[in-house]
Amino acid sequence: MKKSRLTKILIEGDSQLIKDLASQVENNYLIQTEKPPQTGLTMVKVKDSISNNPFYMGEVLVTECTVSINGTFGMSVIMGEKAETAYQIAIIDAAMNSNLPMTKDWFHLLLQEEKNIDKRQQKELAMVNQTKVHFNTMEDYNDKS
Amino acid sequence: MGYVAVTGGQRAIEKANQLVDQYRLQDAEKALETNEIQSQLRLLIDRVMGEGGLYAPEYAAIALKQAEGDPAEAAFLLRAYRSTLPRNYYSRLIEPGDMRVIRRISSSFKDIPGGQMLGPTYDYTHRLLNFDMRNEKGAVKEFLERLGLGEKEIENASSSGKFQKVIDLLREQGLMAERTSDDQIPFDITRDKLNFPTTRSARLQLLSRGETGAMTALAYSSMRGYGAVHPTIGELRVGYLEVHIPYPLDDDDSIYIGEILTTEVETINSFTQNDQDDVEFMLGYGMTFGQNEVKAIAMAILERSLETSGSSPTQDEEFVLLHIDSVEANGFVSHLKLPHYTTFQSMLDRIRTAQKEQEKIEVKS
Repeated sequence: MKKSRLTKILIEGDSQLIKDLASQVENNYLIQTEKPPQTGLTMVKVKDSISNNPFYMGEVLVTECTVSINGTFGMSVIMGEKAETAYQIAIIDAAMNSNLPMTKDWFHLLLQEEKNIDKRQQKELAMVNQTKVHFNTMEDYNDKS
Repeated sequence: MGYVAVTGGQRAIEKANQLVDQYRLQDAEKALETNEIQSQLRLLIDRVMGEGGLYAPEYAAIALKQAEGDPAEAAFLLRAYRSTLPRNYYSRLIEPGDMRVIRRISSSFKDIPGGQMLGPTYDYTHRLLNFDMRNEKGAVKEFLERLGLGEKEIENASSSGKFQKVIDLLREQGLMAERTSDDQIPFDITRDKLNFPTTRSARLQLLSRGETGAMTALAYSSMRGYGAVHPTIGELRVGYLEVHIPYPLDDDDSIYIGEILTTEVETINSFTQNDQDDVEFMLGYGMTFGQNEVKAIAMAILERSLETSGSSPTQDEEFVLLHIDSVEANGFVSHLKLPHYTTFQSMLDRIRTAQKEQEKIEVKS
């Protein structure tokens, strides 16, 4: 699973899932905290639709964390001030990078969580769809008649 | 004349700070929870984040509480706080066309691919004070359940929320110039010294974190006749954009760090003839954090206006860009409240000297 997909599931998914996955690793391996969770900034670069050139729109607050398991690093960067989540995702990332045996059992859990995220987003879109305008052209009004 | 340092205000300042909290809380049954500010004063949060240049809804709520609801003070607090943080990452280039849209309208084209979605808006409601707002306590859950959709309705509404942009449609039809990226690194107003004339990327960054009221006033002036831009909205969209950064442990890979709510506007202003004698639309561009539609429209008007030449205020780059910043403008005006005893004393001295000279002349004559 590509990192962008994995991190989206972990960040947008149920917080209990990442808590459980991180606990599995913590209970079986020694986690070395390389960089404790700390807040920082990420500059957002957006494409200006008119010129097709990029510009910096502003910054987002992020929390980042780096850990290692037996010398293999894992890290996380997530939006907001979320020290605990950042730490848990970094552990999961390190476990994935280390190919720990338990990670093989995670795949179906992650896919299920991805479906839950899709469903949640779909629900919001369904509500938005209710506000779709169905234009009807009105009949001509003839003032002279 | 040199500056004279004075003391004696320390205790008074401490007590004044305490008095702020006294006035903030004295009539309250309980202190406001910042998560309530964040979730229920959505548009104010969006505005403060945009003007502070920092997307952090939780911190914007704290800033608003601390500033007793003053958006300028809250934006200042956010801007000041961000300056204490390290910036370790730059996002991958975000393509606004990938937006997961929750609102999308066009006042130029009735039929746009995917249709027009009104989304969360009170544009079409009467401005009548809703006294039911006083009685919402405890009714939130019931209201949300009543509004909720069934499984079938959710499945039937299957869409990705992504729509083709109107601007791309205009390009396909040859009504707008094809532009290719020049791959230049954008100007960064938070790091580089601004000189005029500046670049388009610097203008967009400044406008994007400009003050809503100031930008609206200037854009309004342009539409009323003190300028050349009076557009229609080609497309206004509000929605979520995913933010990715290069994976720090392997630059070839990317990681998702979250999503931001944004408002994007493209205005259609006029048309011109290109080098091949084809007629093309001239568009303005606006993009802001959160749902802040008037600001995004004002940004598009000002951005377009600054691309034209003329003598109106909104065509003067330095005038527009240096006066729309909330922190700069509020900071400069409010500094007048701070002691200016030396400045005023020198004025007094000059007036008294002039009065004495006048008296001498009158005695002689």
